[in-house]
Amino acid sequence: MARAFGPLLIALVVAFCLAFLPLWVSGYILGLLTTAYYFGVFSMAWDLLFGFANEVNFGPTFLIGLGAYTAGILDSLYQPPIAVCVAAGALAAVLGGVVLALPALRVRGPYFGLTTLVAVLILQNFIVVFADLTGGEIGLTVPDVISVSDKVNYWIALGFMSFSGLVLYGLSRSPVGLILQASGQDAVQAGALGFNVVKHKLASFIVSAFFSGLAGALMVFYLGVASVGTFVDIAVGVQVIVGAVLGGRRTILGGALGAIFLIGAGELLRPLGDLSNFIVSAVALVVVLVFPGGLMGLLGGSREAA
Amino acid sequence: MKALEIEGLTKRFGGLTAARDISFSVEGGEILGLIGPNGSGKSTVMKSILGVERPTSGSVRIKGVEVAGWPPHKIARLGVGMVFQHSRPLHRQTVLENIALALTPDSLWRLLPDPATMAKARAIAERVGLSGVLDRKPATLPFADLRRIELAKAIARDPAVVLVDEPFAGLTARETGAFSELIAEMRHDGRAVLIVDHNVKSMASLADRVFAMYVGERIAEGPPQAVMNDETVRRVYLGGALTTASRPESAFKDAATPFLEVEGVDVFYDRAQALEKVSLHVHQGEFVAVVGLNGAGKTTLFNAISGLIPYRGVIRREGRSLAGVSPASIAAGGIVQAPEGRDLFTDMTVAENLDMGALRLKAGERTERLDWLFDLFPRLKERLRQTAGTLSGGEQQMLTIARALMTKPDLIILDEPTLGLAPIVMEQISKALERLRQTTDITVLLGEQNVTFALPHADRVYVLEHARIVWEGPPGRFAEEAGGRYI
Amino acid sequence: MLGWQILIDGFAISSLYALGATGFTLIFGVTGVLNLSHGGLMVAAAVGAWAAGSYWGFGALASAAVGVGACLILALATYGLIVRRLQLTTKIREEEKEIFILTATLLWGIMIQEAIAYLFTNNAKTVLPIVEGVVELAGVRTPKNELFTALICWIAIAGLWLAVNRSRVGKILLAASMNPRGVTLLGVELSRVYLAVWVIYGALAGVAGVLLGMFLGVSSYSAGPLTASAFSIVVLGGLGSVSGSLIAAYVVGYLETLTAYLISPAYREIPALLLLVIVMYVRPRGLLGRR
Repeated sequence: MARAFGPLLIALVVAFCLAFLPLWVSGYILGLLTTAYYFGVFSMAWDLLFGFANEVNFGPTFLIGLGAYTAGILDSLYQPPIAVCVAAGALAAVLGGVVLALPALRVRGPYFGLTTLVAVLILQNFIVVFADLTGGEIGLTVPDVISVSDKVNYWIALGFMSFSGLVLYGLSRSPVGLILQASGQDAVQAGALGFNVVKHKLASFIVSAFFSGLAGALMVFYLGVASVGTFVDIAVGVQVIVGAVLGGRRTILGGALGAIFLIGAGELLRPLGDLSNFIVSAVALVVVLVFPGGLMGLLGGSREAA
Repeated sequence: MKALEIEGLTKRFGGLTAARDISFSVEGGEILGLIGPNGSGKSTVMKSILGVERPTSGSVRIKGVEVAGWPPHKIARLGVGMVFQHSRPLHRQTVLENIALALTPDSLWRLLPDPATMAKARAIAERVGLSGVLDRKPATLPFADLRRIELAKAIARDPAVVLVDEPFAGLTARETGAFSELIAEMRHDGRAVLIVDHNVKSMASLADRVFAMYVGERIAEGPPQAVMNDETVRRVYLGGALTTASRPESAFKDAATPFLEVEGVDVFYDRAQALEKVSLHVHQGEFVAVVGLNGAGKTTLFNAISGLIPYRGVIRREGRSLAGVSPASIAAGGIVQAPEGRDLFTDMTVAENLDMGALRLKAGERTERLDWLFDLFPRLKERLRQTAGTLSGGEQQMLTIARALMTKPDLIILDEPTLGLAPIVMEQISKALERLRQTTDITVLLGEQNVTFALPHADRVYVLEHARIVWEGPPGRFAEEAGGRYI
Repeated sequence: MLGWQILIDGFAISSLYALGATGFTLIFGVTGVLNLSHGGLMVAAAVGAWAAGSYWGFGALASAAVGVGACLILALATYGLIVRRLQLTTKIREEEKEIFILTATLLWGIMIQEAIAYLFTNNAKTVLPIVEGVVELAGVRTPKNELFTALICWIAIAGLWLAVNRSRVGKILLAASMNPRGVTLLGVELSRVYLAVWVIYGALAGVAGVLLGMFLGVSSYSAGPLTASAFSIVVLGGLGSVSGSLIAAYVVGYLETLTAYLISPAYREIPALLLLVIVMYVRPRGLLGRR
């Protein structure tokens, strides 16, 4: 058990230290990290599906976008308390997760991957078509934000990421997480052990969708704007996936690490202009080719990661 | 009330009847062996009990409850455990955690490990002999211990019925003994045990009764000795009286350096040993048969010769080692396989498939070769424009052999040419092989589980059993010296 | 009048889709690789041709050749540096290689896209057309370039068909797509077969990219959508089925053109996407897929 909680302990200590960062660094960097933390949650939620349920979801932004836009639209129409909007966003994402799970339980491999990709494209198209409601290509400005303080936003994002990491990691290491992993690895053998594979996979879609939608909704109230470019675009989904793979599959916490690394590296290289994206992708590619265990595999120095 | 009762079980896949009207039962505290050659339908019966396949008709009762058509997890929870042949443990979890997984209730709310579960897992681990490695990861364990994990998982939920698939595959003789004891212990605990395997011999001392199947039907049932002596079973496994036409080894000129030499070859899949110190040789122009049941290692041996899998030991062609030579180069050099899976180009016509074998032939040679093959397999000439995927099984097999012959091989390897074929088709292929042997000086290495088919053609026979060569000799002496190992 | 317009425009667009998807499906059919840098390669071809024309003053034909050559080199790099490495490595379990190849080619595609953006900016670029002028066709004023695009697409597809069905190499490719092991057992080195497929693929994607650059213009942003559209067409047609992809390309091309003309260009993609979703639910193996 100590082995399982070791990484978690380190992660929580790191999170605790990060909580003091606002005392030293500029608001600009805090803003950057705030976004990175939300992306960390996206990547961790994605890893639950990919690393444990063995479902390759090419469209994480379908769930994220549903959460973000549901919360944003609700707020711009009726201005209920922000908590209500965020909850509605998470709920919408969960419904989306169930819809997405239906083909996953029927078709496999590249076909499921495409279904998820198409889900994103459809969402994107509908957002553009129903521009009156969604703000279309310009984006939807929400009337409320959680806070105007960089520091408060930073702490909320950090707290939310820590909470999500704790829950998702704990879940992945819990008996239920092991059942999920067994179901993803070999459905027949899991069934022979008495596990209802469909039930567990569906549950994993719901949990993953819940955190994706929640993070999306919270991020809307941090940015004050919901736009296709930040929440739905396939490029955003690619960043989520790359963050998770880069961090290390089946580690959950690696997702947070990878996402922060991606955004941090992108910022450090910003003086290079367009070249920065090139270098970040190149570094990610080298990690994928040379260290398939990802950053967590490198840190842990473990060979079993692959 | 019997723990497991099968009655009138029939399973059809499209036009194929994989199991027809199968009935048997197993009581608590009893071990039943379910045997049959490859394709006999025993896996179908097993899958029907597990709920992986839904029976077409008939009934499967566990402790008196009808479960035909139930999903697997419900059948498992009612009291069926399964020891899979291929273990797939969770690689990041320890042995103990893997066993504890099997004890975990199927609930979405079990978020904390239960100390009682861990204690129980520990106890089960001790029973199957894993207490020394509880905190190790599966990847660091020997193969036998992986099988023990599977066994522990299967009995974790205290099932009334346990299915065991090929329990001894990949195990050494000593491990086999230990495993037999563990299975006997299940009987002692009052469980109904169904062992599924290829032959009686491996389980003769273990099973109380044996149920034998062949092409989807029951052919015999009774105590192991009686089944081994059963006329039908003997005919299925050994064939009837044989006329052999073997030539002595001294008749071949390359006695000093045989055309093909396999020396002390070991092959491992993960950690399971698929070949152990296998040595054999084939002379130029000789017809050598390697007989052995499915899973004995024949295909592995041929794949090693063809360079398709890594091995330890030496394989030489005319004295030169084949190590490091690519599979394509080995084939291009004249050692050509007609593989068990046939590997035909299913959407191409018969003519196109044969052309793929003629890639290195000159135009004139090609026509000449084709005529010769049509003479050998007249059916192929009739089917020339038909796509390979639409051929019958027998025609596909003929095409596989013909395509390999088309390349003008020095040595042709025939892997299980009779698999799944009707007797009359086997007869046709047998005649073609006989003509091949009579009219050409071709060298043949044949792998077969069907002894009746293999022996009449062979000059020499090797018996492969559990990854080892256990007998070598002329076909005439096979029945008396090696027949008993076979059933 | 509008009917003819839709017929002609739809035909040109669909032909371009068909050519783009053919290479993608060929690579998948023979080598089992879904190359997510596909769009990046097509854009590289178009931008290569554009740069040859506007930076170095090459003629239209020479520029097109430069574009196709650039795409060919990048396709071989995709295979040699990424796909081959991942296929041969023992560090990754076999069943997980697919996701690694997907992720790696995705990243590679982004690298190509970003490199283009850095070197040549994000602006849309139109490649110098090989034929210019307008022709009256059934009362519709149609750019000759549009007809030329459709013509070249079909010449390329027909050429591929002939090569696959009539030549020795083609037969081997076809055989390898049905059973790679069978090909090895007959003495053919699979690595050479795969190399040949990637060369053909690079050329096809290059021609499609250059034509796209002449007909509609491209920017580095086009890479992602181009990959997505090839992927959808190929899945709609049935993975690995070339004729399925051709049919699917026309279904998608005409559906988009019809929607754009009759309803609104804003809705252009929606019916095709919905059709794709329906097909995935009702017939997951695609229109002509066998598996």
